[in-house]
Amino acid sequence: MTATMTQCLTQLVQTDYGMTDYQSEIEPRWCTGCGDNAILTAMQRLCRDEQLPPEKTVSVSGIGCASRLPHYMNAYGFHGIHGRALPIAEGIKIRRPDLSVFVTTGDGDNCSIGAAHWLHAVRYNMNMVVMLHDNQVYGLTKKQASPTSPKGLTTNTTPFGAALNPLNPLTVTLGISNVSFVAQVVDWIPELLYEVLHMAYKHKGFSFIRILQRCPNFMDHHFDNWMQDPARTRILTHSDGLRLKPELSRVYKKQETHDPLDMPRALALAALTDEVPVGILYKNPEVPCYDELRAGERPSTPSLVETVLNEEFDKVGIWPAETAEAGR
Amino acid sequence: MQHQTIAPTPMPSGPATPSLRPALFARYRALEDLRHDYPLILVDRKADRPLLRPLSRVIDDTLKRVAPADLSGEALRSQVLRLEAGIRARIFAGREGRLSDLWREVAAEMIETSGEAPFGALDNNLETARKALPLDGMVIGCDGETPGKVLRHAWDAKQAAKAHRFRKIVDGLILKLEDILKSDHMKSDEAHGPSALASAMGETANGAIDFGALSSVLHRARPEDRLPADRVDRIRGALGVLRCQPFFGPGRASHNCAERRDPYSYTFDTCSAALDAYRERLPDVLEFTKALTVAELEVAHKYRPELHDGILASFDESDLSAEQINLLPSALVCLRDGETESAEIARSYEALACGLPITVMIQVDDLLGPTSPEPPAHSFGAGTARLATMAIGLNNAFVLQCASAHIHGMNAELERGMEYEGPALFSIFSGATPSVPDVAPYIVSAAATESRAFPSFTYDPSAGGDWAARFDLTYNPQREADWPLHRLDYEDAQGQRQSEEVAFTFADFAACDSRYARFFQPVNGEAREEAPVTVRDWMKLQRAAANFSAPAIPVIDPDARLFRVTVEGKLAEMVRRCNDAWRRLQELAGINNSHALRLLQEDRLKREQTAESTPAAETPEPVAETPVPAEAPAAAQEGAADGAPWIETPRCTTCNECVQTNSALFAYDDNKQAYIKDPDAGTYRQLVEAAESCQVSIIHPGQPRNPDEADLEELIERAAPFN
Ligand SMILES: Cc1ncc(C[n+]2csc(CCOP(=O)(O)OP(=O)(O)O)c2C)c(N)n1
Ligand code: SF4
Ligand code: SF4
Ligand SMILES: [Mg+2]
Repeated sequence: MTATMTQCLTQLVQTDYGMTDYQSEIEPRWCTGCGDNAILTAMQRLCRDEQLPPEKTVSVSGIGCASRLPHYMNAYGFHGIHGRALPIAEGIKIRRPDLSVFVTTGDGDNCSIGAAHWLHAVRYNMNMVVMLHDNQVYGLTKKQASPTSPKGLTTNTTPFGAALNPLNPLTVTLGISNVSFVAQVVDWIPELLYEVLHMAYKHKGFSFIRILQRCPNFMDHHFDNWMQDPARTRILTHSDGLRLKPELSRVYKKQETHDPLDMPRALALAALTDEVPVGILYKNPEVPCYDELRAGERPSTPSLVETVLNEEFDKVGIWPAETAEAGR
Repeated sequence: MQHQTIAPTPMPSGPATPSLRPALFARYRALEDLRHDYPLILVDRKADRPLLRPLSRVIDDTLKRVAPADLSGEALRSQVLRLEAGIRARIFAGREGRLSDLWREVAAEMIETSGEAPFGALDNNLETARKALPLDGMVIGCDGETPGKVLRHAWDAKQAAKAHRFRKIVDGLILKLEDILKSDHMKSDEAHGPSALASAMGETANGAIDFGALSSVLHRARPEDRLPADRVDRIRGALGVLRCQPFFGPGRASHNCAERRDPYSYTFDTCSAALDAYRERLPDVLEFTKALTVAELEVAHKYRPELHDGILASFDESDLSAEQINLLPSALVCLRDGETESAEIARSYEALACGLPITVMIQVDDLLGPTSPEPPAHSFGAGTARLATMAIGLNNAFVLQCASAHIHGMNAELERGMEYEGPALFSIFSGATPSVPDVAPYIVSAAATESRAFPSFTYDPSAGGDWAARFDLTYNPQREADWPLHRLDYEDAQGQRQSEEVAFTFADFAACDSRYARFFQPVNGEAREEAPVTVRDWMKLQRAAANFSAPAIPVIDPDARLFRVTVEGKLAEMVRRCNDAWRRLQELAGINNSHALRLLQEDRLKREQTAESTPAAETPEPVAETPVPAEAPAAAQEGAADGAPWIETPRCTTCNECVQTNSALFAYDDNKQAYIKDPDAGTYRQLVEAAESCQVSIIHPGQPRNPDEADLEELIERAAPFN
């Protein structure tokens, strides 16, 4: 098809958004050294490189340190309530499919109080990017064990060490029907963080990224083993997944070519404990999206919905005047 | 198969009897008893439904649903088929109506004549079947009005689909523009005023909430939060035009148009009227198109007055794209050969040529034309029949030609023509020729196709770039042949069953027309030297020889007696011309293409001459593609040779650690990643401490730049692991 006039005229409009156009007036208040900073930067870079108009971008979050992110993005933002980022994001997406929706959530936010929403959001497979900032602790409330805290971790709620094995957000997500995109990345390799985020954005469907995120305040040196020993990071590469630049390739020598459609291998990789797999574990663009399946034929706005509802109610309405008449 | 008794020859001499019929018509005498494509249902529009469906197929579909295939369904089947016959009889008698109405009417009559009580078995059966009807619509027969009804029905369906698409786009834009204005209003002082707050919350009778106080604590509107006035004006202007557009009736979102006009009508009797209307309405089209563009840009927040004002101000007819024009209704012009002036027929050719979205229907009722004056010497048939073949030459117009009898068969093509985004011509022969009084129009129209007098074809410019893709002769019987061949079974004078293969030719078609009776002579009426030959054999004769003989065709009289007549003079010439025209169409469709045949012949000769085989060519070795690993030049950006401090910037995690210690020394780049902005803006100590606290260890302090700094020895030692 040839371009429409509006498309041509739109192309005349040169946008030149820079990083600062996505920076809000509020300076990030995260602790110095907090991995959340890296994630915010990667997101702003993505917005700039894709030239996403701030007024067409929405950042949604729940509650937690990570969930403060929408305040720092110059875009539409919704700092929701604890565990409920996903239902809010779903509402936005189904009502305004033209917006790019990014969800920021924490391991506590998503995997304990918000776990039910997480399962259904994966199954709905609505078009959005979800970043799980996994610092393996409740940061905002000053160090309580979260579902992803390693066994034995002493926190304010587990003074004798966490009793259970941690929940693995990757294997859980991969096990839900209609899953369409699962990736893992670490906040301390910014190039890969950016690449994975970019692929998640380009994927049509629910793109779930678990990001291992440093919390120097409550979990200092927690990820040092992985940060300092590149051999414990397994980079998943594929022509349809990550492609490593030579500089990174020299540092991270442990690489595996992994087909993102290979679910059994994805599950095996996700379950690794001594190594951190980084890259696209699973990606299937064919999975149907609930927002597309349910897209209405007619345009809908609150006022139109009201009109239609009133019409329906009027069909069975009992008019006060008539009732009065009948009562006489 | 019915058999005819061959007529005792000789025939009475003199002009042939006026009520001759082609011999092959004998089997179709009681058409109203036959289940065929008519009565035809103009199906009520609904997604996934065909435009047209023969009554007989609808009945079959219904029976499949409700009548068990075994014996137990037999009663229901025969009752419903009787009901179908009742509807068919009514349609044949000139009735017309909706399927559901006709059904009830015939059912009531059947119940009455059966003597059964209402709600009895028959009533129940017929009612069960009626409820299972998959569709409803007008039921029509095959007569002089059929082409017009079908075309209008198809066109209406297309306009309804267009209206649906149009409303979806335009209503969507209206609602989104209203949303923008509304969200702007929400920021106004007015929206924060006590009464607005009260109405938003619902009246609280007890005054529990002091809306005045509530209003006073809310933000006052800041001018910079409101939309610029020119943007508001632009949005209002576009809204006004979209809400009051005169092309389609109002949609849900266009209720508040102050000065609504009646929507334009788009059906015309002449192309001139259609073209005039197009000119007259052009200003409205331009205004609407501009408003639509403004709306789309505004909704995307992409309107830039400095860029777009000028372009829209100078927007005129020449800028209108096909897509913009196609959003609006297209025109339908219904012409009728014989009623429409021939000048208008020529106008329609011009109208099609100029590429406007116009659908022209030309109905032909009389293909042969009068014989007096003599049949036109240089053409056969009416001029309109030629128009379709001429229109093919335009290349940009969709052309469909067919007879009423094949409209249902070509229903998909009809729909495709209606969908076509450009001019379209439908040339349809109704079969209702006044000079063929005793034959049903359905039979006449089928005969026109059969005899190649009015071949069925489509030319679809959107189907591809070449003739093979665009031109389609599929819907002609035996399209590889000059004329379709049929078996004619009859009884001879001795009562013996005979069978012969006869072609149905242009002469056979002309034989039904009473005006052409004088061109047929009984075989033994006039003495001829040569024995009569079939049309096919006659066609093979050289012209000189052909002039001395006449072809003969088998015909029947009203008593179904078979005999042969010769085809005389001008009519024989018309037969030849008809065949020429058909062969040209065949060539266009790639059948017996003369170029291709010649090439094939040459090729065959060549192959016969060069008998020796050529040695098989060696297959080249595939060149292995070895990807060269993209190894970057090692250490290209590693270590500043001069001992200057540096940071592996691409690995920086933006953790703020270093930049907070000294933002003149450490700064963020365009990607918000740290680099050494000015190595002399800080101390060596700061560099070393930053290196130590950088969690990803990417700061390299290098060598001290100021030899006078304190504790250098210790610092150099601490720096060593990071250099
Ligand atoms: C309904 C509810 N329950 C509990 C809390 C307290 N609360 C605030 S943040 C938080 C946990 C946050 O942990 P996580 O999601 O991992 O985010 P982080 O701070 O680690 O980024 C909790 C339990 C709350 N705000 N709301
Ligand atoms: S407490 Fe931890 S997670 Fe929260 S801001 Fe500080 S470092 Fe980041
Ligand atoms: S300390 Fe390291 S990671 Fe942090 S901002 Fe500086 S260079 Fe970047
Ligand atoms: Mg956490």
